[in-house]
Amino acid sequence: MSARFLFAACLAVLSCLARAEEQAFTGRATEMKERAMADSATLASLAENTPVKVLARGGGWAHVEAGGKSGWVRVFHLRFPAVVETSTSSAGGLSSLGSALGFARPRTQQANLATTGVRGLTEEDLKNASPDPAALRRLQSWRADRGGAERFAREARLARVAIEVPEEARR
Amino acid sequence: MRLTALACAALLAASLPAAAQLDFGRLINRAIDSGKKLHEANREYTPEQEIALGEGIAAGFLGAAPLDPDQDLQRYVNRVGRWLAMNSARPDLPWTFGVIDTQTINAFAMPGGTVLITRGLLDRLASESELAGALAHEIAHVVKRHQLSAIQSAAGTSALTDIGKDIASDAIDRRGGDVLGLKKWGADAGLEMLKNGVFLRPLDRSMEYEADRLGVLIAARSGYDPYGLVAVLQMLAQAKGDTSGISVFNTHPAPADRLAQLEGFMNANLDRYASQPQVEARFRRAISARR
Repeated sequence: MSARFLFAACLAVLSCLARAEEQAFTGRATEMKERAMADSATLASLAENTPVKVLARGGGWAHVEAGGKSGWVRVFHLRFPAVVETSTSSAGGLSSLGSALGFARPRTQQANLATTGVRGLTEEDLKNASPDPAALRRLQSWRADRGGAERFAREARLARVAIEVPEEARR
Repeated sequence: MRLTALACAALLAASLPAAAQLDFGRLINRAIDSGKKLHEANREYTPEQEIALGEGIAAGFLGAAPLDPDQDLQRYVNRVGRWLAMNSARPDLPWTFGVIDTQTINAFAMPGGTVLITRGLLDRLASESELAGALAHEIAHVVKRHQLSAIQSAAGTSALTDIGKDIASDAIDRRGGDVLGLKKWGADAGLEMLKNGVFLRPLDRSMEYEADRLGVLIAARSGYDPYGLVAVLQMLAQAKGDTSGISVFNTHPAPADRLAQLEGFMNANLDRYASQPQVEARFRRAISARR
């Protein structure tokens, strides 16, 4: 296992975890806007599957870099492929961060961060668990009351909004 | 040296067990005696029974997954969760939120208003609005009593254990006014539901989609940027990878499917609330204090 591979793997993992600069693709043809608004000026038309670097998010929009330009794209117009490589999938070597991120790689070689998860962690653990009522009491001692939650919301300027949505739309 | 440390961190991270799914509450594939089927299908759990059952499940769960020791973080998550729940259709449940110390990426809703989120998921979030999106999805499961529905819909599908019989029996009703008896029943029934090994039984796909829609609505009504859940699902799509062979993913809607389901609903109803706060700074403070 070369240091180069390890370094690439590092970058892949870190970019996944930190999410400071997410790698994504356009999931459909879309427009890059100057600002995060539908009626803002169009900076570029992006074809489907254009790689973009996500710099930030704002509401339904993502600030992205693509083709030397930066602007805003609808988040729903992006797709996010899996990014983490397994150590066994390095047959061809990871010659660049791009390949480490899974670009243009066969699906079978895409990594699988999430192979165990709930089942691996909890199914056996839960079956064998002895109940811990003391931990439950501890957990319950951290509950927030209404007044505390309201103050907490005000501190961040979170204001309750009345939004009516037809029942059939919610089902 | 630094490279080696980074490499080790990367390998460690890559080897950690992590399930990128946000669907929970898949408690309970409790089989109900066919003779009791009709009774059970029509049963209305009282809020007290629902809470007792949820506490029983939670106590068992905490026996397997330790709480994160950072009390400030626990209180922070409780404030976010309580504020969201206050803007749901069941504001008066004894809402309780907790962070469990595991790298698995997930969150879990118990009947009656106990919600657990893993440190693995929390560590991958970028703002309070994303945390709100995840918690609101769980709150929606509780509001809609999805876990209890799963019990009821499982009626008659397999053999019944003693506890199952107890659940289906009128004994619970008699204990309704007996606090100690109710707690004992909840503890026994909740633990049985964990030990039964059916915890991974997924909720119905339509319930997950409903929890996503109601979740973003609750987040928006609470003043958050409702696109937090969208960011979480896109993160999960990345973390998940191509896991088509893994049953836990096979039995749940893929993040991409959930996003596709959400898009029309959000465009039609929530786009105008997209500029509400994401609350990144407070989230970073709460998280970094623990790291």
